[in-house]
Amino acid sequence: MVHETIAATNAVVVLDVALPGIVWGWIITMNMWAKSIGTGIIFLGFYLLKKHPEQTGFIRFPVVAISIVFIHIFLFFTVIDLHQMFRFWHIFFYPHLTSAITIGAWMATGFVGLLLAMAYFIYMKKDEAMYDKLLGWTVLLAVPVTLYTAGLMAQSTARELWQMPTESAQMILAALLAGSATMILLGGNKFSDAVKKDLAVVLGLAAAAAFILYMAEIIFGPMKAEEVAAVLHYIKGGEYTVMFWIGQVMAFIVPMVLVCLSLKNQSYYLLKIAAVSALIGLWVSKHVWLVIPQLLPMS
Amino acid sequence: MQLGFLVDLRLCMGCKGCEIACKVENEVPLSTWRLRVKYVDVGTFPETKRTFTPLRCNHCANAPCERICPVSALHYLENGIVNIDKERCIGCAGCVMACPYGAIYIDPQTQTADKCTYCAHRIASAMMPSCVVACPVEANIFGDLDDPMSSISKYIQSHQGNVQVRKPEKGTFPHHYYVGGGNVTLNPLASFRGEGHNLFNNLKHLPIGGH
Repeated sequence: MVHETIAATNAVVVLDVALPGIVWGWIITMNMWAKSIGTGIIFLGFYLLKKHPEQTGFIRFPVVAISIVFIHIFLFFTVIDLHQMFRFWHIFFYPHLTSAITIGAWMATGFVGLLLAMAYFIYMKKDEAMYDKLLGWTVLLAVPVTLYTAGLMAQSTARELWQMPTESAQMILAALLAGSATMILLGGNKFSDAVKKDLAVVLGLAAAAAFILYMAEIIFGPMKAEEVAAVLHYIKGGEYTVMFWIGQVMAFIVPMVLVCLSLKNQSYYLLKIAAVSALIGLWVSKHVWLVIPQLLPMS
Repeated sequence: MQLGFLVDLRLCMGCKGCEIACKVENEVPLSTWRLRVKYVDVGTFPETKRTFTPLRCNHCANAPCERICPVSALHYLENGIVNIDKERCIGCAGCVMACPYGAIYIDPQTQTADKCTYCAHRIASAMMPSCVVACPVEANIFGDLDDPMSSISKYIQSHQGNVQVRKPEKGTFPHHYYVGGGNVTLNPLASFRGEGHNLFNNLKHLPIGGH
């Protein structure tokens, strides 16, 4: 590795421009976090309405309402992150279809349209059949809305840490984690034990799978590229180590443990703590993963 | 036509004439650069030397910035230049994230992306880029890579085996070449970055009138 030659060459950059710094910061973290909830609750709502239709009918309106709120939080943070936010309409009038941003914007627009239609039919018309029909299409559109950020990260050629197959899996797992956690907090004690168990299993498995992916990246990532090894130093004893592990513990380890305990003790209280921990931890772990590749010098 | 750049690092003496000429020609604001010269010190006293590496947009054939731009603000010109339309740019910074060479920045005045355009406006008027004109040792060689008789093509032919691009593993196919480069000059991970190497970046404005 070329990094190991520094001791031999004693090469020191004495004059260069600064790094641009963290260009995509907490605003983009909010974007990803809110989107995970907005699409995740749709995935979980669809699953529960199919598997437990008699016990979960009451979630129809809350699910679409929560999704609308969080998708608009996602859109809000997307727009305010633009340095020229009042030109946002350019995406629709000058679209460049090789860009994941363009695809994401179009998909999100369609997704919001379907959500509003669902809200209209369930709130104004009380038409559950139409709601359920639209929900199927909404779930289909929720997949690319969830995944486009992974595509965007993969298109960020400069940032080796963000690899497409892994990031797409992480985005889906984040949506399932956030969706199940939000559903647990939404349902209160209105859910039957069977529904609670299903939500606990989804939360626990999503946490476990995401944690495995992160650990695999940490262990095997440095073998892929020197840039990855250099980036991972920021969470292997570097300035983001503590924050990274706070995120991992809260988002994945605590929920895994609490889900196991709640299933064993049939404690919904523990499940709620797991859900809150997962939602907070998800923000932290997403933030660290977003920021650290931006610390690496490019020139 | 495929325009390209070649810098002979053996000739460059780090005068920063190209940097200043670029700043003046393109009215690049303080704290940002379309072209800059990186200084790297190598060795241990008294066996030391300083290397100079002019860095600018590589105008890649497979440009990640062009691909990620959601509104085609970054686009190819017929002569191969990756140009930017600042009126169309929405400032999403996707290109900043995508460029493996750190060549794109957000202009603090226009709040849009900006980068080297090989002085596309000068080329349209049959003039050389300002950095080429300013270089006192002709270390910057610019021309048509498709023309075997162009100065850049001839230079590449006569220096075969010593012509490099930055980060070829990225698959971006840069149209910006270096002669006499090495890890220390072209690979950012091959050198240590000490405190203060980026002091000019902190100059956001110049006090006028002594106050």
